[in-house]
Amino acid sequence: MIVSDSTSLPLPRGAGRPIDQQTLDDLRRIVGGQHVLTTDGDVEPYSRDATPLFRARPGVVVLPASTGEVSAVLRMASERGIPVTPRGAGSNLAAATIPEHGGIVLVLTRMTTIKEISPDELLAVVEAGVTTAELADSAAALGLLYAPDPGSRTVSTVAGNVAMCAGGLRGLKYGVTRNYVLGLEVVLPTGEVIRTGGRLWKDVAGYDLTRLLTGSEGTLGVITEVTVALLPMPAVARTGVAYFGSLADAGRAVAGVIHDGLVPATLEFLDNRCINAVEDFAKLGLDRDAGALLLFGDDGTAESVERSLSLMAATCERTGARGVTMAKDIAESEALLTARRCSLPALARLAPVTMLEDATVPRPRLAEMVDRIDAIAARHNVVVATFGHAGDGNLHPTIVFDPADGDVRHRAEAAFGEVFDTAIEMGGTITGEHGVGAAKRPYLQRRLGADQMALLRRLKAAFDPAGILNPGKLGS
Amino acid sequence: MTAAPEHSDAEAGSTLTDSALKPRGIFDPDLLAACISCGFCLPVCPTYAQTKAEADSPRGRITLMRALDEGRLDVDDSTLQEQAGRCLGCRRCETVCPAGVKYGELLEQWRDHQWRGRHTPPVAAALRAGVRVTPALTAGGLVRGAARPTGAADPQRPHLMLGCLERSLFPKVSKAVLKFLPDADVPAGQGCCGALHAHNGGSVEAAEMAQRLGATMPGTIVSTSGGCAAYLAHQLGHERVKEISEFLLARWEADPGSMPSLRRLTVDGRPARVGLKDSCQLRNGLGVIQPPRALIAKVADYVELPSAGVCCGGAGTYSMLQPEMSKAVLDPTLVQAREADLDYLVALNVVCTRQLQAGVKRARLRVKVVHLVELLELALPD
Repeated sequence: MIVSDSTSLPLPRGAGRPIDQQTLDDLRRIVGGQHVLTTDGDVEPYSRDATPLFRARPGVVVLPASTGEVSAVLRMASERGIPVTPRGAGSNLAAATIPEHGGIVLVLTRMTTIKEISPDELLAVVEAGVTTAELADSAAALGLLYAPDPGSRTVSTVAGNVAMCAGGLRGLKYGVTRNYVLGLEVVLPTGEVIRTGGRLWKDVAGYDLTRLLTGSEGTLGVITEVTVALLPMPAVARTGVAYFGSLADAGRAVAGVIHDGLVPATLEFLDNRCINAVEDFAKLGLDRDAGALLLFGDDGTAESVERSLSLMAATCERTGARGVTMAKDIAESEALLTARRCSLPALARLAPVTMLEDATVPRPRLAEMVDRIDAIAARHNVVVATFGHAGDGNLHPTIVFDPADGDVRHRAEAAFGEVFDTAIEMGGTITGEHGVGAAKRPYLQRRLGADQMALLRRLKAAFDPAGILNPGKLGS
Repeated sequence: MTAAPEHSDAEAGSTLTDSALKPRGIFDPDLLAACISCGFCLPVCPTYAQTKAEADSPRGRITLMRALDEGRLDVDDSTLQEQAGRCLGCRRCETVCPAGVKYGELLEQWRDHQWRGRHTPPVAAALRAGVRVTPALTAGGLVRGAARPTGAADPQRPHLMLGCLERSLFPKVSKAVLKFLPDADVPAGQGCCGALHAHNGGSVEAAEMAQRLGATMPGTIVSTSGGCAAYLAHQLGHERVKEISEFLLARWEADPGSMPSLRRLTVDGRPARVGLKDSCQLRNGLGVIQPPRALIAKVADYVELPSAGVCCGGAGTYSMLQPEMSKAVLDPTLVQAREADLDYLVALNVVCTRQLQAGVKRARLRVKVVHLVELLELALPD
């Protein structure tokens, strides 16, 4: 057995080893020959996700079409000690789907059936590989809202969102993925198929395994079907834009909005570098000279939205906004939100590597955190562009650099190390919504402490005695 | 964030950093570095929609290009060879890419490298050689009755460009254009614009062909083919090179008197229902979207198919290189054309016209596939 360090769980015996012929034959029998990818070229595209700098080639890629096939693959992998890394669309930003120890990458993108959308029960049942946008659009066609709204919604899968507990642009008012997961169908690493939760809003029979599996990052089980809660679609949704001299000023406006007793659907901010990168792509006529942009929005009845937006506009003006404009129609609102969702990839225009973080602090300390990030970046001589979900205290400081530029990568890592320490010191966390994966593994113990880390390992061992699922990550 | 340690090998399970290997210089490094693998391109890629496999997506193909460039995969790798041909080259991914990745240029560089010597698909090699012979193109156009060359180019007049395949396959298109552009000349000695070469592994030669054609036709060039127009505009400048729909619409809007009187088309006494398949290069490469729709709406009831902006699967040599995928990509459009009960389906590129005609025949639809100017011609007074 390979042991990576003294406190980690042992790696499965097949870690880092080629897949033997018998296993390949068995996999082909389970899912069909064309859904087992084995050549170097065929598996190479699954060697990375949306996280920069992480890459590892799988031994084999398997694309099952049903829960039964997933179960058969996992049962075999457990018996033979083969690592299995579950993967949806591979849009996560924490290197959670990088197969660091080789083995099987289990891709769920072929399971794309929307099984049910029930207006009477306000819920939907979907297979793992349905994308977030497909679910939301199908629900919207029936006048229903699927509230979680991660930036990668057009790409990401629903099961991937659950596995990572994805957040998004509506967190303040509506919460995140975990607030909408009613039930899961999950295949345990040993092959058993269990159903947690279900269709009920109230159900306290047993431990809340649904919550435990939500955000488990593919280390405890493979999610094959998700039952989510839906809401009636609000009658009206509108957004506005306020420009500020600095991100910290925008942060103070956010504190003012919440102090006013408002819980709006959207409070997003971007600094000057992000404004310019987004404008280069979206060409919306944003103010390129502003230090920061605050995108505020709300939904509900026409009267409540009107009131909420005018209050927020007034607060922005009172706290020093240099300009406030309202989107004139739904299309303009959507364009603004879409542009905001593109912030990260748009920043890729600035330099070859965009290293993004996800530190989160208690809301009242947002402006302070923004200032601290700027100071840290200056001290380490790195270029940082920051955007984020201001209403959630959730920041995405992004260091952009050219790897050819000397030791810049180490400076970037040192700067982020300090950002994490600062966030924890302020009562915050190392990741608000992107997850831990391989990328933030070195910082996890700082956030959780040794006792909780040990409990995570005991939980992991209880679910996955052979240690095959996403080995080396989270509770491993 | 901390990346795992660098290793020099590429064995299963080892975590590498992207800077670990020295590039081979096959690609423009800035173009390749622009992609951050966010995957926003996946939902718009027609081939990914068919298989849901990463290698069939733009992001997956860029990962393959990187592996080729960094030496993790060799040019002989079967997936590289397959995927270089499996991409339609429709560039729809570019329209949704927030990072501004120039995928079309990357694909050209990939095929330049991949499709050399014995790795060149025979169909691509044959076409590249065939359309290089200008006298043969001219003869083909004359025999088939395309618009006749009018001699040397008059720099004061707009020039009608004769597509190298269109002249022989659809000779009526260029003749119809002259009814709407009475002041245009048809310069003699027109060769191929090079688009076909650029998209099939010969981008250096292609750029030379484009320059030669530009020298044959100094001044404004008007093309009936979206693919040629986009490529030539990229080489010579969009201000000089116009696709027919944008040229006609701009002219008629600037000077309504120059527009011939067009009647509304009817079929069995009711207004004709007309759909459109965009030319991908025109839409995604040149950004021309509204003009063909506006022109159709002048003579008929325009019906926007849900897949109007999605590749038809013709894609240059694609229908010959990848017949199965080519058909699968087209199928949703055939279903939509039937459901929309179309009378005409308009194409803006010779390859699209051929692909759509083959599909319509296969699906036994009643819809008639025509080029935009053929539709407009039907609306001219008798």
